[in-house]
Amino acid sequence: MSVMQNNSEKAKWYLPGVLGGLGITMKHLLVNLFNRKKMMTLNYPEEKYEYSPRFKGNHVLTVKKDGSLRCTACMLCATNCPAECIKIVAAEHNDPHVEKFPISYEIDILRCVFCGYCEEACPVDAIRLGPEWQTPGVNGANFIYDINHLAYRPNLKGGIQTHVDDEERLKSGI
Amino acid sequence: MPKCTINGKEVEVKEGTSIIEAMQQSGDRIAHYCWHPGLSVAGVCRLCMVEIEGNPRVQIACNTMVTEGMKINNTSEKVRDAVKWGLDFHLINHPLDCPICDQAGECGLQDQYMEYGKYDPEMAEAKVKKHKVVDLGPTVVLDSERCILCSRCVRFTEEVSKTNELGIFNRGDRSEIGTHEGVELNNKYSLNTVDICPVGALTSKDFRFRQRVWYLKDAETVCNGCSNGCNVKVYFNKEGFFRVKPVYNEKVNGYWMCDEGRDIYKFVNKETRLLKAQVRGASGWTEMAGGAAAKNAHEVLKNTSGDSLALVLTAQYTVEEFDAIVSTFVNEFKTKKVFFWINNKETFDSFDGLLLRGDKNPNTKGLLKVLEKHGITATWADLTQGLGNGSIKTVVVAGPENQAVFPDFQERVKELSKAQNLIWLQAGKNDALMSLTGNVWLIPTKTFVEKDGTFINHAGLEQKFKKVTTIVSEALTLTEAALLLAGKNLTIPTATAQPFMPMNQREDQVTLEARKKNEFVFRRGSL
Repeated sequence: MSVMQNNSEKAKWYLPGVLGGLGITMKHLLVNLFNRKKMMTLNYPEEKYEYSPRFKGNHVLTVKKDGSLRCTACMLCATNCPAECIKIVAAEHNDPHVEKFPISYEIDILRCVFCGYCEEACPVDAIRLGPEWQTPGVNGANFIYDINHLAYRPNLKGGIQTHVDDEERLKSGI
Repeated sequence: MPKCTINGKEVEVKEGTSIIEAMQQSGDRIAHYCWHPGLSVAGVCRLCMVEIEGNPRVQIACNTMVTEGMKINNTSEKVRDAVKWGLDFHLINHPLDCPICDQAGECGLQDQYMEYGKYDPEMAEAKVKKHKVVDLGPTVVLDSERCILCSRCVRFTEEVSKTNELGIFNRGDRSEIGTHEGVELNNKYSLNTVDICPVGALTSKDFRFRQRVWYLKDAETVCNGCSNGCNVKVYFNKEGFFRVKPVYNEKVNGYWMCDEGRDIYKFVNKETRLLKAQVRGASGWTEMAGGAAAKNAHEVLKNTSGDSLALVLTAQYTVEEFDAIVSTFVNEFKTKKVFFWINNKETFDSFDGLLLRGDKNPNTKGLLKVLEKHGITATWADLTQGLGNGSIKTVVVAGPENQAVFPDFQERVKELSKAQNLIWLQAGKNDALMSLTGNVWLIPTKTFVEKDGTFINHAGLEQKFKKVTTIVSEALTLTEAALLLAGKNLTIPTATAQPFMPMNQREDQVTLEARKKNEFVFRRGSL
């Protein structure tokens, strides 16, 4: 990193700059005092800002129509993850059409950098970064998100469905 | 000796060599799915196409013999085009199973597609659906949709294992690999079919879905499953060992290995291992570091006269270790009471005609050689007698790594527990040992993947192997244990100081060499 230094004569006149800054602050104070509806701040946590649906927030594991996990435990997300925060344990499914599924899918949210590479690597649209963005927790909270949280947390209302279903895929001969 | 030109390089080959073999000799890459050096030529995959000068059509390399002055190439546009269309036919009914398939990452078809394919499919018809997850037998699962009908597995059961369980059934694009009516793929070499399957159609039940192959590192070593000493590759990562595959060695195992040998990774893994030394005195078991326990045992050994001290060896360690521990006993402790614990003498000479030997110890010959060198003639009867009349008070045992092949383990423990002091060097956990009473030292030892050494196989062939990784850091080799038991100090060789130190690096600066991925994370803060 380089530090720029301005040693010119003009730079010694700092007072107009300071007063100008104070002026802006004062202007905002007065506007907010007499016109509270146009105030630009929010009373968090009572009021919450909603970002656009494209926002890359908390992870979601999508589900099929029957509510089971879409994930095939191919581990591409875990391989692509630069923070190495995803841990998956695969197992054999009883249904031969499903064959392989994760019995454990964990994201260490404290390591996650929300880069979205997992989403990009997923060949079956099983993991997405959703618009939720709050990840607070007190000391001792569980910052390792498991399948239950990722796919079936209350906000998701039973899980988010993928567009293509296995059955449809098989029927269309893919 | 005909001479030919392959991709511009001149190669001299033996009479009767096929082009594909000549290309391997010259180091040129060529795709092959149905051809396997250990099997007969089938010529069904049509992907090893080459162009021969003067021949208007491209030919398959596996079934065309080299003749004098032949000019071959497999890099021309014509060949690339032929391979591309051949690949198109292979992929007509091949499902997009790569996320589920165990072979993803080491699949020939994937590689070939990335090199020659990358086209838009031109088939408008739906794929032919075949059977998924077919249970072929106790070890192998078949997915006939993924199968490209190269017939390698069928030829393997015909030609190598000679059990003929597999066949190709139906015609045209409904052809499927399967077992004959009422037969299951259940022979002692069945997992070789998984190795030679060029796609993920045959998968091993043991390895299935446990790890993706790109998370595994591999290293060559010698199998310690039996006295045949097959050359193998072990696959592992920080979570442990996951599978074993054969490595070609003409003198020992060819291209194959047995199913039993593939289980050797299991007793190496941490969950079955003795992680800490256990020492039992008057006050019960205490945990100790491996080296400390050996030092502790020396206190007893130094007060023991030579005649009351015995050493029991199993043939599962390396020649170097046997030499070290036997010479320690002969020279330091002045005892020649060294006994060979033989697990199943009757079956030692049995052989199934292919690879499997009855002697389940990798180094019986090596142990006998060391015993002979030191002029040791003691027999087990001497030990039984000595323990019976109390003339042998202290016994040092180098127990087996692979406990499964020692059916008499419990009885021998019971017999040896008659000794006043029992010093047992053992790699794996064992309940029989933990329930012993009296003075017992249980010292963890390293397994064959954690040390360098030599095994001498049934035919007297010496095979050296290198250390693969460390699993139990406190475990000792017999060489180290012998030194410590004799009261000497163990010097750990330290890495020599780096001759060159970069100017901007502190002397005590930690370098993160092992971690190549995510390098930018560690360079944060510098532009």
